[in-house]
Amino acid sequence: MINAVKSELRKFFTTRLWWGMAIGIFVAAALFAALFALSYTSEGMGGAGGPGGMEGGEVQIANSVYTSGLGIGYLLLLTIGVMQIGSEYRHKTITGTFLSTPRRVQAIGAKIIALLVLGAVYGLISLVGSVAVGAPILAMNDFSPFPDIEVLRSLALALLALGLWALIGFGVGVLIPNQVAALLVGIGFAWIVEPLLGFGLSFWEFGREHLVKYFPSQATNAMVDTVTMAGPNAPENLSWWAAALVLLAWAAVLAGLGALRATRQDVA
Amino acid sequence: MWRMSTSAGARHTGSRLEISNLSKKFGGFTAVDDLTFTVEPGRVTGFLGPNGAGKTTTLRMLLGLVNPTSGSATIGGRRYRDLDNPLGTVGAALEATNFHPGRSGRNHLRVMAAAAGLPNSRVDELLDLVGIPAAAKKRAGGYSMGMRQRLGLAAALLGDPEVLILDEPANGLDPEGIRWLRGFLTHLAGEGRTVLVSSHMLTEVQQTADEVVIIANGRMVRSGTVAELQGTPRAFVRTSDPDTLVGALRVADVTAETTEGGLLVETDDLRVVGDVALRAGLPIWELTRKAADLEQLFFDLTDGTNRNYTGAPAGDPGGPAPAERDAITGQEGANL
Repeated sequence: MINAVKSELRKFFTTRLWWGMAIGIFVAAALFAALFALSYTSEGMGGAGGPGGMEGGEVQIANSVYTSGLGIGYLLLLTIGVMQIGSEYRHKTITGTFLSTPRRVQAIGAKIIALLVLGAVYGLISLVGSVAVGAPILAMNDFSPFPDIEVLRSLALALLALGLWALIGFGVGVLIPNQVAALLVGIGFAWIVEPLLGFGLSFWEFGREHLVKYFPSQATNAMVDTVTMAGPNAPENLSWWAAALVLLAWAAVLAGLGALRATRQDVA
Repeated sequence: MWRMSTSAGARHTGSRLEISNLSKKFGGFTAVDDLTFTVEPGRVTGFLGPNGAGKTTTLRMLLGLVNPTSGSATIGGRRYRDLDNPLGTVGAALEATNFHPGRSGRNHLRVMAAAAGLPNSRVDELLDLVGIPAAAKKRAGGYSMGMRQRLGLAAALLGDPEVLILDEPANGLDPEGIRWLRGFLTHLAGEGRTVLVSSHMLTEVQQTADEVVIIANGRMVRSGTVAELQGTPRAFVRTSDPDTLVGALRVADVTAETTEGGLLVETDDLRVVGDVALRAGLPIWELTRKAADLEQLFFDLTDGTNRNYTGAPAGDPGGPAPAERDAITGQEGANL
């Protein structure tokens, strides 16, 4: 099993995808951290319940700054998840994978472990970018860069969130074997459909209170406990641990369905 | 180059491949139909059939990539998925296109080596062996067909396996490469390994294969040695009075039949024919041994049944173009 995981990681780090993604995720994290840090520390955003329709304390502000690149980050990890299996279908290297590791459960298990590792690796790259840029800006504006140990919890959960998004990508990648279609559907849903649907449902009381908070992107934001929208139509957020469980469930269901299919299918 | 041993010259105890009552249905289409044969170690076995006969599906079932509808395919008595050390037991090169275009050939092998727990030094050994050590550092997207075949062969040999399964390995190789491959396969079988090579042309493997298994439409058509397949060679003789020679041969207990331009005699002993003709006072204008035309035989065995071509006009002399890539046909003298 360790060999199979090593093989999966080597597969990932021997194409150009990995450093392109690394640069993208680092730059996005640094830019968004700067943007968020500047906007939260600008006038009128002093602590909870400030004007501008946002609510959150110093902890939430720090969380928001450090995880502001997460929105781009999880889309990139979703892409990595899709491609870790989709490119194997596309280039037919899945044959070699199953010849090297013929026990399918082992081969797929190795992919899942490798994707969680990649989630953590890219999470660290992202956090290095966002903390390096965000913390000085917060400090310069007299905000505490690390107001509480809770911030560390959010940073750790951000790593997990990225790994789970990679697993969601893996599930989508198996269930839609055409890599391009899988990427369009996956990113299209997470980036466009889900926010629109969430926005639409927020005008409906039941949707606002019982549906929107279980959406994967919504759960991801709740997980890292960021500053939230305030106002009558703002959707309710789950607590960080409930949100983590919800995202875990999304990843488990999608990756589980994908694994079930991948372990049985004919590779012709 | 191939004389460099793949395994420090060790003698191998190849495993026997057993295909028994193997069938595969894709929906309503029967790709492989109750196929039974064995492949013995220490020999090169040709696995033959026209394009679409079910060769690749059979090999994929043997390798645990495709689930059989019924029957079994085992390697040394075990299913591929149950092997403890798959790459050390079976080396397979299925298609020369199974490489990520953005990954170098060397890294492709390193990915496999990691899965099999093999050191990276083994990868470089293999690249030397198949003769592409420098080129393998470039991305695989730019490789020629011949390089892909060599890389595929290196991948198959990575774990120093007892069994080699190669699907159309001669496709895309130039005559020199084919000669190299032919010697290489014979050498590997000589070390005691089991070598199974598929091809859609009998003439392509006749020089290399000790045994052949011919299938068409997913069913077994014929199996045996190439010599068995060819049957006893006959003598062809041209003379001034064929009918008199037929009579003279009959007296000598040898049957003969007239054919265009001469006689076909049911013996491979040319001296008998010459002696009889001399006694009968007939001149001999030509006397040769004539083996069965393997290409024609293969065509007869598998002809008229190709499912891929149904709907094509009957008796089309050229036949429709094969669906698969087919680089070898038309290369005279480039037989495997």
